[in-house]
Amino acid sequence: MSYLLFKDASGDSWVRTNMKHKMNGNQMLALTGLRGRLLKAHWLTTSGDIAEESLQWEGPGFPSLSRFLPEAAWDEREIHDLFGYVPDGHPELRPLVRTPRWPKTFFPLQDDADSHPHWRDVEPDNPSRIVEGDGVTVMKVGPTHAGIIESGHFVFSIMGENILHLDAHLFQNHRGMEKVLETRLLGQVPALVSRICGADSVSHQFNFVSAVEQLAGRRAPEAVQWDRILLLESERILSHLNDLAQIPAGVGFQVANQRGLAMKEKWQRGLAAIFGHRFLFDTLDFDREILCDKDGLRTLVRSLEQSWSQWRRLVDHHRGFHDRMQGVGVVRQSDAERLGAAGVAARASGLGFDARTLMPLYQGIEVEPARADGGDVEARFQIRLQEVESSVRILKIALDQVSVTSSNSFWQPPCDLSGDVVSYSESPHGLNAHMIRFEDGRIQRYHVRSGAFRNWPVLALAVAGNAVADFPLINKSFELCYSCSDR
Amino acid sequence: MRQFMRSLQLRHVDAGSCNACEQELSALLSKEYDIQQYGIDFVASPRHADALLVTGPVTDTMKTALAKVWEAVPRPRRLVAIGDCAAGCGVCQDAYASHGGVASSLESPDLIIRGCPPTPEHILNQLRRLQWKDGNPNI
Repeated sequence: MSYLLFKDASGDSWVRTNMKHKMNGNQMLALTGLRGRLLKAHWLTTSGDIAEESLQWEGPGFPSLSRFLPEAAWDEREIHDLFGYVPDGHPELRPLVRTPRWPKTFFPLQDDADSHPHWRDVEPDNPSRIVEGDGVTVMKVGPTHAGIIESGHFVFSIMGENILHLDAHLFQNHRGMEKVLETRLLGQVPALVSRICGADSVSHQFNFVSAVEQLAGRRAPEAVQWDRILLLESERILSHLNDLAQIPAGVGFQVANQRGLAMKEKWQRGLAAIFGHRFLFDTLDFDREILCDKDGLRTLVRSLEQSWSQWRRLVDHHRGFHDRMQGVGVVRQSDAERLGAAGVAARASGLGFDARTLMPLYQGIEVEPARADGGDVEARFQIRLQEVESSVRILKIALDQVSVTSSNSFWQPPCDLSGDVVSYSESPHGLNAHMIRFEDGRIQRYHVRSGAFRNWPVLALAVAGNAVADFPLINKSFELCYSCSDR
Repeated sequence: MRQFMRSLQLRHVDAGSCNACEQELSALLSKEYDIQQYGIDFVASPRHADALLVTGPVTDTMKTALAKVWEAVPRPRRLVAIGDCAAGCGVCQDAYASHGGVASSLESPDLIIRGCPPTPEHILNQLRRLQWKDGNPNI
């Protein structure tokens, strides 16, 4: 562990060390604020190790990374909002989570924070960043929307039909999940992490379980590991089916939308019958014995394959549909890299990173990251097509394995678990990391960094230059969860 | 003919949900549930709505927007809490930025549909009860 005591104004070594990780091609897992003026940055190296850098300082401010590592910009704004630590030299230090309703001295993740603050009686809107000039119109959308979607407030600066700039005001759904997790006993955590996000629930559950096991020095029996792969891949298919069905809706291709939704519904009903929940909440545990109906899952996969091939023919052969997606919402590879894009969005821009290639869980399976390089809506659509098919392949491998392995173990974590640990997985929406500090079997700090959090700034960049009418389509092609980033 | 008088137009507001309730509400529009065949549909403006569906524990940031939307629904109107969070018994009930459900932040809902999340089938059945329950003297 390297503590770099920051007393001068430069803080050079903190910036330099983190820059070095980025230049070496490592993935930032999380930048976490902790009580006592402490920051930790965790990086996933190209060989699959986790490197930790820490910074402790005196005085109000710490050296900001954002000018050198733009992907840290949101993390530092969040740390500023929730702890009151000031990132010195941050290029855009304005509220991210905080609203004018928050009491001035309320920093929820500090020790002495009020559990129920006295909210100020004002509007919650923060000032927006807009473009000014002749012919520029500002269009505000949200936080409530005309359809059934999560809440977010978008401020577009537009000229004619084209978007000049999008200022996304998210965190409308900020509940304070990280704080809710603090002081909890281990047994209370799974139900909470299951519900951080409805679309990436298994990935969050896996991260918690894997963090506890890492810290306790336990390796789950092989059968249990195969079971976890079944859950993770089932969730990926569910989430991708949803997103793939939504993209055609964005261009009025209703047949593909409805048939896609039908496939999703069938898959979901199958999962409910097999694992007991339509979104796989509360399914992944330390020793979830392989109770699920393997034959049922095999039948479900076969039936998906049948409807999938029909649906693929429908979307593959519709030229107009592809015309509509190509060249829309382009993210250049350099931007994806600079902003630390994750998951589908990164792979669609030619960054061939998929955390499954490094996760110890997937060691027995060859995972080839999906590839596309257009960076547009089409590329993100194609990545998901490839990934559904590879997930089906992985499910079949895992199903063959679970039938030859079995586990009768029963394991519970030690009740005095203490220490810091970082875990990660590839959620349907990209690299998802949890940094957890345990103290005597209780959570002392729980930080969640999801793929969606990384990708929101990428989406804002992708829409600039496009027609306003294409925003829903571009948005659907990213299909970022709000709850994963708002927490 | 009398059945056609019982249409129900819904406006949805997410006030801090995890997106599972939203996905189940969206599923109602798929051909498997086809909510429109019962005269129920989702509308784009509260001005067109008979009922407001709320998901989530009502976060502080969404509280004001939710109140404005509710104010904009013409009378007579119905308030529906969808899912455990909105019902006031979800996992983030006591979070600092949560107001603990619809009842404690807005007013008592006319209908509470429990579940985490409630299944589309359950939501549909409960909404149909609302459709028949009251409010229309012609029934």
